[in-house]
Amino acid sequence: MKYIILSVVLVLAALWSLGEATASGIISDKSSITFVGKQMGAPVEGRFTRFDADIVFTPAKLAQSHARVSIDLSSIDLASDESESEIKGKSWFNVAAFPKAIFESTAFRALGGERFEVSGRLSIKGITRDLVVPMQFHTVAGVQTAEGSLELHRSDFKVGEGVWADPDSVAEAVQVRFKMALKP
Amino acid sequence: MNQEKYNPTAITLHWLVALLIAIAFSVGHYMADLELSPWKLKVFAWHKWVGVTIFVLVLFRMLWRASHTPPALPAGMSKLMKNLSGLAHMAIYLLMLAIPLTGWLHSSAAGVTVVYFNVLTLPDLVGKDKALSSLFKEIHESLNWALLGLVILHVAAALKHQLVDKDNLLNRMRW
Ligand code: HEM
Ligand code: HEM
Repeated sequence: MKYIILSVVLVLAALWSLGEATASGIISDKSSITFVGKQMGAPVEGRFTRFDADIVFTPAKLAQSHARVSIDLSSIDLASDESESEIKGKSWFNVAAFPKAIFESTAFRALGGERFEVSGRLSIKGITRDLVVPMQFHTVAGVQTAEGSLELHRSDFKVGEGVWADPDSVAEAVQVRFKMALKP
Repeated sequence: MNQEKYNPTAITLHWLVALLIAIAFSVGHYMADLELSPWKLKVFAWHKWVGVTIFVLVLFRMLWRASHTPPALPAGMSKLMKNLSGLAHMAIYLLMLAIPLTGWLHSSAAGVTVVYFNVLTLPDLVGKDKALSSLFKEIHESLNWALLGLVILHVAAALKHQLVDKDNLLNRMRW
């Protein structure tokens, strides 16, 4: 009996540590990607409702850590149906040709405590750019969560071309905030 | 006929607000049908600025009205007519506050903060919520039709006083 209990405990412990090391995927309803842009100088908020992430993150093993986030751009939630259909169109995201935005990490760096820095590549609309994203890794209500924010410039990705290129009507800078609740 | 008038501040506010409402109303209808473009965003912003200006002027106007007695109505008016006119004016005042408020609520619920003349950031009255945003849009529009109806009635009443009763009521709203 003792051996059975011991082996069950060992198996559970093994599974547990396995689970911790290979944490992958996110809990959708506890994760979010929101952003704030500016139109005519006034803040406008929006978010993406469908995205997926493969994240293997162990603070003690940064070299083995990895993150890939894929955002379904057609899931954008904006001020109105009209602005949503506009932003999916050719001059903005052109979702018909480029349905997803993809972030792929290349390296993690510890900044001390809960703070880390993720280097990686972001691809939107067929354009790939290198980025460094500061993030905080902590436990929120028992769930390991990576949170952070970054500023993107829409012209870097040709988001908003032609008449929309004018930064007076829609500003260049967009503040993006993310929260990824990792599956245990 | 030399009769009492509203005081100059009340008269100025009446005509200034009437002019701005005519502008906000026309611009509102013009912009609502535009295709989404940078121009549309500009006109939306201007409409909001004019609307917020009206809101502030009307708040001040109501305070002014509450602290200054208006001239007595023409002696020839029946009690019922006096009451009806008071009621109509009250309804117009309420709409002049409710319309900018629902516009502001519509904008907040759409996730678009109102920044008055690109300088003063107004607080978001509600969080982003698309269903709520379309509801406030509908209310904003309906209240505008209600105001239009009342203003038509208002102008008809003023003309009736002028042309039928010949009591020179219009003079009360002239400097
Ligand atoms: C958007 C347009 C207008 C609005 C919102 C508006 C609103 C009002 C309000 C709220 C009052 C009541 C003032 C008070 O006793 O506190 C008033 C009075 C008056 N309005 Fe207008 N008005 C408008 C246009 C006009 C026009 C076009 C005329 C002229 C044909 C007019 C003629 C008058 C007159 C003569 C009075 C004085 C009534 C009295 O002696 O009690 N208004 N208006
Ligand atoms: C007394 C002041 C105002 C008047 C008379 C007015 C009038 C109107 C009218 C007639 C429309 C067109 C309705 C339609 O056909 O859809 C409109 C639309 C609109 N108004 Fe106002 N408005 C006023 C104040 C405001 C304010 C203060 C705001 C925001 C801060 C605002 C925001 C809007 C928006 C966003 C729309 C567009 C609705 C849409 O198509 O999404 N308005 N307004």
